[in-house]
Parts: sequence; C-alpha cells; structure tokens
Amino acid sequence: MNTIEEELWNYIDGNCTPAEQDTIALLIEQDEAYSKKYQELLQLNLEFTAMELDEPSMAFTYNVMETIRTENARQPLKAAIDKRIIIGIAVFFVFTILALLVFTFANTHSQLSAFDVNVKLPATVKLPNVANIFTSPVFKWFIMFDVVLALFLSDSYLRRKKPTKQA
Amino acid sequence: MQSKLSDIDLIEQTLAGNQSAYADLVKRHQRFVFTLALRFSKNREDAEEIAQDCFIKAYRALATYGGQSKFSTWLYTIVYNTAMTFLRKKRIATDSIDDEATFIQVENNESAYDAYNVENKSRSFYLNQAIAQLLPDDATIITLFYKGEQSLEEIAQTLGMEANTVKVKLFRARQRLKDKLERNLKHEVKELI
Repeated sequence: MNTIEEELWNYIDGNCTPAEQDTIALLIEQDEAYSKKYQELLQLNLEFTAMELDEPSMAFTYNVMETIRTENARQPLKAAIDKRIIIGIAVFFVFTILALLVFTFANTHSQLSAFDVNVKLPATVKLPNVANIFTSPVFKWFIMFDVVLALFLSDSYLRRKKPTKQA
Repeated sequence: MQSKLSDIDLIEQTLAGNQSAYADLVKRHQRFVFTLALRFSKNREDAEEIAQDCFIKAYRALATYGGQSKFSTWLYTIVYNTAMTFLRKKRIATDSIDDEATFIQVENNESAYDAYNVENKSRSFYLNQAIAQLLPDDATIITLFYKGEQSLEEIAQTLGMEANTVKVKLFRARQRLKDKLERNLKHEVKELI
C-alpha cells in the first residue's frame, strides 16, 4: 500500500496511470492534508531541480585531452607503420630471392644417371660462372643484409607479442 | 557551430580522428560527470581523478558505443562503475545504505563559505550540503534523476537495477535528503539563536 507521500511523488514525477492521476488530483483539491503535503513536496521538487552541478578545475578538459594525446603518441609508433610498406618490402625480397633461384637453377646443368640433360645455348649467350656468384662479395653482403633484416623483423614481432600477452 | 552538434555527431568526428570533437564532448559532460564522481568520493581531488579516468575509458571504448542508448547513459554507466571500483579500493561500504555507522564524513567545504553569513547562505548551498551527507547510492540516484535528465529506466540501466527498484530507492533517497535538509536548517537556526 502506498503512503500519501509515495502517491504524491508518483503524481509529481508523472509515473501514475491516468485513473490514479485523476484520483490524486481530486484528493489534492478536496483533502487539506493531501493539499498541504502536495505543496510541500512540490516546493521540495523545485529545489531539487534547481540543484547546482559542481565545476571541475579549469584545466580539466586540457588534462583529459593531454592524457589521451600522450597515450596516442605512445601507441601509434607501431600502428603508424603502414602495413603496405612492410608487405611491399617483403614482396620485393621474395621476388628477388625467387628470381635469383630461378636464374641459378636455370643455368645449372643437372645430370642424372638415367639421362643427361644438356642444354645447348646460342653462342652469343654467355652464362655467368655460378661459383663466382656465390663467392662474390656482393652475394655475401646480400646474405648478411637478409640475416640482419630477419633478426630485426623477428625482434619487432616478438616485442609486439609480449605486450599483448601482458594485456 | 560546434556546440550545436549532437553527441552522436561529435562521436563520429572523434572516431574519424578529430580529437577536438572529443574535447567538446568532454566540455559538454564534465560538470555532470564530476558531480557524480563527487557524490561517491566526497573529495574534489579524488572526484577529478575519477572523472578524468572515466573520460579516458570512454575515449578508449568509444568505438564500442553502439548508440542503442543515449551517450550520457552509456557514459554514466562508466562513471558509476569507475566510482564503485574507487570506493571498493578505498574500502568504503556502500551496500549498507541504512547503516548510519558507515556514514561517510563529508569533506568540510565550509571554509570556502566562512566569509558568508548564515543569512547569505542560499537554499542551494544547504541542498548541496545535504546531498553530500547522503550515502553515494542515494546521492547518485537523486543527481541522475534531477540533473542527468535520465528516466527511471535509464537510471536503472546505468546502475544495473530494475526500474522498480530505482523508483523505490529514489523515493527513499528523497525522504532522506528531505530529513537531512531539515536537520541542517534547524541546526543553523539554533546556532543563530
């Protein structure tokens, strides 16, 4: 069962059914106790509505945005690297390695016991000496560069994996 | 022009990379978020920390805001959860609403008003004082209802309760606030006499 106060608060808040609203409106008109209580609660409701909100410090928005900016500045170092660049570099190296392999195998004379593969090239085409390619300083530098790149990429991959695990 | 943009517009702009749109969103809601945080912490420094934390959390999770509810309702849920975590950390019991023993002492803000005479103290000052004396749950419900432009259903969503429970809690909170207000005013009158 609702108390007078509860009924009146519902009436003030507009949470009553139309029938209840009519009944309470009639009671306020006719019953002095209801009317007095209604005026009291109405006054209180007005005061509550006029309640003032507190103000944070002047630098509040600045502090929030600064924290966000700092966070963003720290994070995107990884995100800022465009994946297309990485893929492009990878594609370049894969094609270079593949081209080198194809070229190497194409110029290697394979000999099987069953049959002999003997490719006769035109006299104008001069094949490079494979032994020279593998021992040349350029090839050694190329391999060295590949190893360093592989180490660098695996290091950055492992670094990226570590924070994910921690999170 | 910027101030006329809706919350949704500002969110979309923020998600598109415009950080100043989020700054506008913060400016728009900071007073209410800060007031809510103050209802829990009863201390301006802590309230500012909670409010700041809420806006940062909201920024991080902005992409997950689906727009099913009002942005304010979504934001107040973050405020409520953050403030509750803060209270838990501070080991303040909030579940025993009727337990006066756990009544949280309000930080004495009266020093700022020392220069004023009692006559000059407005009803709004007494009201804020009385609200500050309420337990966090009561103060939050009253603030959400009167200043947050939230319906009972929205408050229920924010607090993770049933709308009927919120209705009962609001009724009780208003009664307690009325009692505190009367008690404080009587005390002031006695002091004058």
